[in-house]
Amino acid sequence: MNGHAILYTGVTLAFWSTILIVGICYTIFDLGFRFDVAWFLTETSPFMWANLGIGLAISLSVVGAAWGIYITGSSIIGGGVKAPRIKTKNLVSIIFCEAVAIYGIIMAIVISNLAENFSGTTPETIGAKNYQAGYSMFGAGLTVGFSNLFCGICVGIVGSGAALADAQNASLFVKILIVEIFGSAIGLFGVIVAILQASRFLKSMFIYISSTLALLNMSCCGQKLNVCFENVYFEYI
Amino acid sequence: MTEVGMRRSSLSTMAFTSVLLFICSTYSCYAQAPLLMWTSEGSNMPHLAQPTAGQTVSGGQLASYLKSALSIAPHSMLLFLQDQLSMEDFTMYGGVFGNKQDSAFLNVESALQTSSNPLVLPALDWSASHSILELLQGELGIPAVQIDPSTLKEIKLNTAQPSLLAVHLPYTAGDQTKELLLKNDAIMGEVLDMFKSLDVPYTAVYTGLKPSRVIEDTPVMAGHSVGRSLLQAPPESPVKPPLVVNNTAGQPCILLWADTLLASYSGNQVDLARDIFNGSADVTAGSVCNETLSRLVLNYRNVLNFRSLRLIFSMRKIFFPVSARDWSVMEQVVLEYDGQRAIFNASGGIYSPAEYSFHCQSVSSAQSPLLVPRSATDNATMWTLSFTDFQIQGFSVTGEDFSYASDCAGFFTPGIWMGLLTSLLMVFILTYGLHMIMQVRTMDRFDDPKGPAISVPQSE
Repeated sequence: MNGHAILYTGVTLAFWSTILIVGICYTIFDLGFRFDVAWFLTETSPFMWANLGIGLAISLSVVGAAWGIYITGSSIIGGGVKAPRIKTKNLVSIIFCEAVAIYGIIMAIVISNLAENFSGTTPETIGAKNYQAGYSMFGAGLTVGFSNLFCGICVGIVGSGAALADAQNASLFVKILIVEIFGSAIGLFGVIVAILQASRFLKSMFIYISSTLALLNMSCCGQKLNVCFENVYFEYI
Repeated sequence: MTEVGMRRSSLSTMAFTSVLLFICSTYSCYAQAPLLMWTSEGSNMPHLAQPTAGQTVSGGQLASYLKSALSIAPHSMLLFLQDQLSMEDFTMYGGVFGNKQDSAFLNVESALQTSSNPLVLPALDWSASHSILELLQGELGIPAVQIDPSTLKEIKLNTAQPSLLAVHLPYTAGDQTKELLLKNDAIMGEVLDMFKSLDVPYTAVYTGLKPSRVIEDTPVMAGHSVGRSLLQAPPESPVKPPLVVNNTAGQPCILLWADTLLASYSGNQVDLARDIFNGSADVTAGSVCNETLSRLVLNYRNVLNFRSLRLIFSMRKIFFPVSARDWSVMEQVVLEYDGQRAIFNASGGIYSPAEYSFHCQSVSSAQSPLLVPRSATDNATMWTLSFTDFQIQGFSVTGEDFSYASDCAGFFTPGIWMGLLTSLLMVFILTYGLHMIMQVRTMDRFDDPKGPAISVPQSE
């Protein structure tokens, strides 16, 4: 076994044995009543949960975007050595990955704007609404974060394949781009659900706007593919 | 010559005696006086077994010593009876630290040295030394004759008959002790010289009526260890037993203990825990306990300018189905004062499983409050309660001791949990990132170190 495997098995073993021993001690001393999940959930501050959500929203999205760009970028650069024509067209894959990070930062800003101060020190005085707000923001952040993480990885791997296929055969690029579009949509789903979680009153408007955008994207690219994307990348370049 | 009957004692000696009696009755006393017995040069004294070190010679033992001594020793007894004498006097004034010239007992020492087999009893029980005169009178069968040095010359002794001469020597503690002892020694020397000049064999006894120094011995009680103990350890504060409330059947059903029960109202504060732990029954009048409800009522009179004040703790035993056990929850803490009521809700923090007691170092309505006024307009907002080291048990009481105390402070505080959660999350992220970075490898599949280097055409 290499060093990494030893380290990770050691850490896992320590973790599970700690849990086991603590559980056994709770049981044999009849102190099971002190293991109180409700106490944990009500005594920890809703601010912690909200800010964890915000932090995870942006950071996991950026991880996804970075991973995707790293994968695609390496392929574009590698393929571009032998087929330099691919470099400009394949930047669109990078843009799809970048979009994921943009979703993340927008959601982080939206969620953090929803956070407000509250007064109250005991669980009774804090009140259920504040706990709901804290947990909702945490959930929303997790949702958008993990969705964008896997979306970014997906787009990255597909984009890498697209670059290498394009280097071999230029007509393959456009078809693979459709796969990339579907991969990008899942990030958008995460954003929608996160908005639903964080602010229930905004849900109808956002569903409308985001679904319109998604449909426009897909229809545009379906009918007039080259025109659509060349316009896009001309703007960027 | 005067007959000696009862000895007159002054008020101070009576006071000393009574104090000595009192002290020695409550503690075991090192209240002993030494006794020295010697005979004149040339007379015989039987070899008497010295008492073992530390042994206190009792009156009976002294009588046996005297009996065996007087069987051989001359029957002309000289009794030098000092008011007070202790071994410490010999130590302090006897020149024992190499300064023999400063000794206040030179004559006594020389007499002891010239005598054969002198008897030294370092610790004679003070009741025996107090009654030495009567003892000797009983032994010899003749009354004692009190003499003092000025009348010494006129004594005519009939050596054929036993005689008992008592010389009274004064003693004062303080600065003049040394001079007084020197004077006494001079008197003793005079008397002994006179007897020597008269060529009369004698037996001399030097002792004190009372010890001059009494060392109290603290009693060794059962349970105290006789091992070493810290001299500097602070004295233990007496631990008071918990307050017990009995139910109608006479069994204890509520226990309470607190270090302080501070109640503040408009600037005045009173400690309600001060006098309630002595076990009087009317403090807890009105307390109720049954299967599901325990109400402890503490009654006070004339505190904080109120004619009557009642502090009521009401606890209920509730079965919660999720945890599937009975919990003892303190619902309210109520203050009834002169017809008004102040109600604090306590169910948020004061709860424990019904089999256990509840303990909390600080039960307060001010800081990290476990006691919250029932509403914003309740009278409780004018009161501030602060209980320290508070322990209460309302159910499952089996004796006068508390059950296991479920403490209000857990092992981890909420802050510790929050910090642990975020820190562990970030450590996990760091670990994952490190793992990924350490896995990055350059593609070396097509590397051929021996082949030609890759050439990139410069032309577009």
